[in-house]
This record gives sequence, C-alpha cells and structure tokens, in this order.
Amino acid sequence: MSARLEATENLKSLIKKYYNDLYGAEKEGIPTAWLNVGVPCEIFYAMDMFPFYPENYAAAAGSMKLTPQLSAVAEARGFSADLCSYVRTALGTVIAGEGPYGPLPRPTVQVSAMNSCIMIMIWWRAVEREWDVPTFVVDTPLVEKESTGINLDYVNSEVRRMVAWVEEKTGRKMDLDRLKEVVRLSNEGKDLWAETLDLRRAHPCPITAADIFTHMFPMVALRGTPEFVEHLRLLRDEVKDRVERGFAAVPEERYRLLWDNLPPWYDLRLFSDLAKQGANFVIDTYTQAWGPRYMGEIDTVDPLRSLAGYMGSGFLNVQVEKRYELLEELVDLYDVDGVVFHSDRSCKPFSLVQVELRRMLQDRVGVPGLILEGDHNDPNLLDRGRAMSQLDSFLELLEGRK
Amino acid sequence: MPPSGGEALARLREVGEDPRAEARALRDRTGAAVVGYFDLYLPEEMVMAHGALPFRVPVDGRDAARSSEFIQGFACPAARDILDQALRGELDFMEGALFTRYCDSLRGVFSVWDAENLTPFVELVRYPTVTDTEEAVEYLAAELREVSGRMAESLSVPANDRRLAEAIDACNRKRGLVRELALLRMGGGISISGADYLAILNAGTVMLPDEFTSLLSALLGDPPAGAQPTGVPIILSGVTFDNIQLARLLEGTGLHIKGDDLSSGSRWYGIQVGSGVAGGGKDANPWVALARAYLTKPPCSVKEPSSPRADHLLEQVNKAGAAGVVLYRSKFCDSEQVEWPYLRDRLEEEGIPVTLVEGEHRAAGFEQTRTRLEAFREALEDEDGYGEGGRG
Repeated sequence: MSARLEATENLKSLIKKYYNDLYGAEKEGIPTAWLNVGVPCEIFYAMDMFPFYPENYAAAAGSMKLTPQLSAVAEARGFSADLCSYVRTALGTVIAGEGPYGPLPRPTVQVSAMNSCIMIMIWWRAVEREWDVPTFVVDTPLVEKESTGINLDYVNSEVRRMVAWVEEKTGRKMDLDRLKEVVRLSNEGKDLWAETLDLRRAHPCPITAADIFTHMFPMVALRGTPEFVEHLRLLRDEVKDRVERGFAAVPEERYRLLWDNLPPWYDLRLFSDLAKQGANFVIDTYTQAWGPRYMGEIDTVDPLRSLAGYMGSGFLNVQVEKRYELLEELVDLYDVDGVVFHSDRSCKPFSLVQVELRRMLQDRVGVPGLILEGDHNDPNLLDRGRAMSQLDSFLELLEGRK
Repeated sequence: MPPSGGEALARLREVGEDPRAEARALRDRTGAAVVGYFDLYLPEEMVMAHGALPFRVPVDGRDAARSSEFIQGFACPAARDILDQALRGELDFMEGALFTRYCDSLRGVFSVWDAENLTPFVELVRYPTVTDTEEAVEYLAAELREVSGRMAESLSVPANDRRLAEAIDACNRKRGLVRELALLRMGGGISISGADYLAILNAGTVMLPDEFTSLLSALLGDPPAGAQPTGVPIILSGVTFDNIQLARLLEGTGLHIKGDDLSSGSRWYGIQVGSGVAGGGKDANPWVALARAYLTKPPCSVKEPSSPRADHLLEQVNKAGAAGVVLYRSKFCDSEQVEWPYLRDRLEEEGIPVTLVEGEHRAAGFEQTRTRLEAFREALEDEDGYGEGGRG
C-alpha cells in the first residue's frame, strides 16, 4: 500500500554490519555486553565494547515468526509458556544454540536496568544460570514522574557502580572524553529522530507505523556512533521530503490513530491491512521512549549523571498520570481520532494501566480508545480475525464521529 | 488470667482465617487508622510509628471478576484478588495503602488503586530491587523517611522516634516468637497442623503485636496435647499462601506442611531489626536499621540477588526433615516462573523431590490439584530414606 522508505536499504546494511561485528567481536578481542533497552549503549561504546540488545534480537526473531519454535525449547527446559514472549524466544536461542542469525555468541558481561520491568532482570538471571555470564543489575526504583533528589542520587551511584564493575570484569576503562564525544553524536542523532517523529504530525502523515517501528534498531543499538547520525539524517531527510511533497503514506488518509505499546513484530501487515480503510497510525507511544520527552539531550559536562537521570525517569519507570500526560499531548499534537491500546500479554508494565488510560482519555478529552488483545512476539496470542473485527468496529465508531 | 494454649490457638486460628475482619474490628476498637500493605518488604514498623495499624492484606482466594473491569486477566491472580477486595468495598476501613515495587502485577494494581482513589491515601515506596549494597540500604532509609513524611500529612500524625523504637521492639519480639514456633514445629516439638501454622502467620501481620505475642507465648508455653500431625512432611515454597481453607485441602491429600519457604513465613520471621547487623554506628539510626533488616532477609525472586533463596529453601528442607517440596505458584507470576527451573534443579541435585502447583489461590476447583498432590505424596512414600520422621 505505502511506498517503502529508501532509507530502509541503509538500515539493512547497518543491521548486517552490526551482526557481523557481533560475531567478529571475540576474534577482535572486543568485549560484548548484553544490555536491555533501558541501559544506554553510549556508555559501552565509550568503553570500546560491543553493546548487544537481546530484546532487539528477540523482536527480529519474532518478525521472522521463529518465536513458537524457540519458545517450545524454553518450555521444554521448564520455563512457563506464560512468560514474556521475548524471554521465551531468547532463552530458546540460548538453550538450543540456534536463532535467526545462527547461534548467539556468549557475551562477556550482561547488564540490566530495572527501568522497564522485573522480567528483564529475571531474563538476564536465567541466561546467567545457563551460560555462567557475569551479570549486573542497575537499580532504578520506580518514580512518580521524574527521577530527582535522593532517587537520582541513588541511580547516579548505581550507574557509577556499574561502570566500575564493567571495568573490573572486562579490563576496559571509561574514558570521559570519549564518552563526551559519543554523547555528542548521540544527541545529534536523537535530535534527528525527534524531528522525524515530529514530521509525522503532517496531514497527510508521511510514513506508517510499520516504517517507524522498522527503523527503531539504530535508536536502540547504535546511539553515539557516526553511522547512527548518518542513518537518522537519511531518514529525516527522506521523511521531510515526503512532507514537502505532500506524500501520503496511506492514500486517502481518513483516520489518524495512535498505537499504544509494542507492535506485533510478526504481523506488521496489520497496519497495512488497516491502511486499506484509510487508517494510519500517525504516532505511537513506544517510539516516544527514545524521543525527546524521555531521552532528551545528554549533558556533556556530567554525562553519567545525565544518563542516570534518563534511566531513572524512563518511559516505563513512571506512573499512570505521567503516562496519561504523554497520551493527551500526542493526541493533541498529532490530531489523533482514536487510540488503539495493544494489550500486550508479554508486557505487563506497558499494558496493565491501559484500562485506566483509556478511561482517562475518554473522560478528559473525549477521545475513544480500543483495547486490542495480543502479544508483541507470539503469534499464537493474537486472534487475527477477532482483532480485525474489533478494529473494523472501532473505525466505524470513529466514522460516526466525523 | 492468660489463655490456655488451646484457647490461644483457637483465637489465632480465628484471626488468621479472616484477617480482614480483625483489621476492621481493631480499627473500631482503637479508633486508629488502618494502613494496608501487600508484601513483606514493607516495614510495618513504619506504619506503627505513626500510631496507625498496619494490615497485610491477604489474598483470600475468591472470584476476582470485578477487577477484570480495571485490569487485564494476565495480571497475577493474587494481585487481582487484592484489587477485587478493594473494588468490592471490603477494604473501605483502610485509611491508606502502601505499595512497593514488588512485581509488575502489583505495580499495575497500584496504578488502578491510585487512579480510582480506593483509599484516602496511597503511596508507592520507591523501593530498591538490589538488596546487597550499602547504597541501597542508605537510599531505602532515606526513602522510608520521605514516605513517612507524606504519611504524616495524610494521617495528621507524624512519625515519632519513641513509637518507632517501640514498634521495632514489638515486631522483633513477635517475629522471634513465630520463628521459635516454626523451629519447634520443624523439630517435631509441637503438634500444630500446617494450616494452623499458616493461620498464625496471617494473624501475625494484622493483630496488635503485644496481643499476638501474648497469645503465641501462651501457645508455646502450653502446647495443645495430641499426636503429631500425620502426613508426609513437606516444605511449602512460594510467595504467600494466605488461604487457610486451601491449606487444609492441601494437607487433606496426606501431605503435612512442616515448614515453609514463603515470603510471609520463614523469609519474614527471621527479620530482626537492628540486631547484630553490619554497618556499625549507622544502624543506631532506626530508619537505616529498618532498611537493612528488610533488604537483607532471605530474598524473594523479584529481588537481586535471588540465589540465597535456594539456599534458604534447602535449609528449611533439612531443618524440617521434609520428604519433598511443594512449590505453589500464582498463575502469571513472572519471577517464580523463571525461578522454577533453577529451584527444581537445585533441589533435584540434592535428591529432594519437588512438585509445582500453579493456581489462583482458590479452594474452589481443587480436584485436579488434589489428584496431582496425592500422586506426589505416593511417590514420596515410595522414596527410600523417607520414614516416619521424614528425611533426617
């Protein structure tokens, strides 16, 4: 339905190089760190390490529809079928020694932060037990809206404790000047990301939700590298050009929707199927986690404390009112007609506030929402027919409000 | 005149079977505010320092249909159960509620609780997950003081150092006595069923500590006569197990809960605030002492590190001479789901049989579980090395 972004070719080569680097790291003597998305890769690039994100890898496996078979391996080991589908996917890879790009090399260290879910910590713990990998948890206690005061001091001390631990385990040293340079590149690329997200406000919207979800990889794994900035500039320029040309990612755009939560990686076609009815998800909450509201400019004077602030105030580390504020702001900025809350069985922190958020949105600004049951990686947990029927009814409701 | 051991047990059993009724009655009797909490990382002493009544809201195992209007069904049933009690108005006597970041399901319940104003005040203690650093102890101490400051405004009663010191003493005493009871039971020195023991644990987190302590002292001083409970001795492992009716059904399969590895049991009663802990002079500050004691107790699987939990479980098996372990897990309990293969392997390495029971804390629909537990009991009975006294 929609034209593919040309920047996608560059993205493919970035991903290819990234995995080549991962598989070549041991030979090159480069220590690898498995991180969750709440741990900034900037710190690890500054330490000349290779940061790897199993969540990203699991999503890739999910998009290739490998989750059911990898999950079966994890379940045979005794892990519950009710666990997060990322976890089942990744543990299946670890146990079976197979995955979308072949067996994963064992990391030198693992670091997780508590700023998204408990699941991350226990996932890393399971890998630690399977592979005997040194593992560190950065504590980031939940906050109401923002990490400040004693909480920020604590998270800051946690980040420094982590750096000292990584130095000890890998022999690599944190070079503050190098970190400042990495942070400068990270800030530059994130500005371009923010601009790209902002360009989605255009009528018609220049890209689809599938486009933006596909291009998240550099935001997660490459921040602070020159190729990150280069790619984000390519993406921004292309999207900007589309806006200037009045290009509609969804021809005859009629319904401007907001997607809340992770997407079903195995079924991004859901978005193009809806596009046939003139519906486009012009904005989403998930990519905002890397946007300026949650991952803004890093202070180059004291980058570690600044990064600690973003970790402590992370998108899933805040409470319902803050989550609502974002929704209301996005609904207004992007001229949203309705919100689809993907009730993602594999992401409790994202999902378990959605019933309240939907009610708040309806009560306070009169924007309707649909709770859509599904899962970000396990196709067996999405009833496609039922979902499309619910979405059709939702579009009818929106039509009635036009 | 102090009650007899039998009378004390009857009273503790009565309270433990319906702790909510006791909390309401206490509020009516004393006029003090009741502040509910939901996991055993929350120091109840902090509530008592404000002259309020701490009440650990138990999972009562009834239908949680009402909560489905507010939270999805893949939240843990224990968390949904608690939310349901509040939505049904059964916790309307509570002045406040204190959550910690125990798990992602309880966090979701906090969001609903907060948005729906289910109690006049509600607080999320910004609790550490890492438990083994000095930084975490100092941070938690500071956080507890901040929460206490906000509670002072809500309850119109500031925390008072004298009351805090008294609360610490009273809670140390009561937990110490529970520990004494548990050790006595594990050593076969007192004849009390597992269901009654679990009821006593429930009673211990709702009754006034002095009243609880005097009843427990009476029970320990004048144990009820009678034969030792029959049944194959097991350790019950998990998070909480508050439904006494369910405990009776479990023991009705011929298993005897001789000891436990529960957050509301042996991972709780060992907490002794401010005694024999590291940290030197800092622990003269009661908030630091509280933080240290609660962070360093045998951990739940939601904390880091969690490996001491397995050692603790093995220790309980050995102390009780248990023939095996029953691990009770709430459906959708993420951390226990990940912990299971590890605990299973650790136990099996030691030659200790273990079975997993997953459920929703309900007595209703026990039939399938009964069949499995009876099969487990039969397997234990067939085990070499298991005799009258269990493993030993």
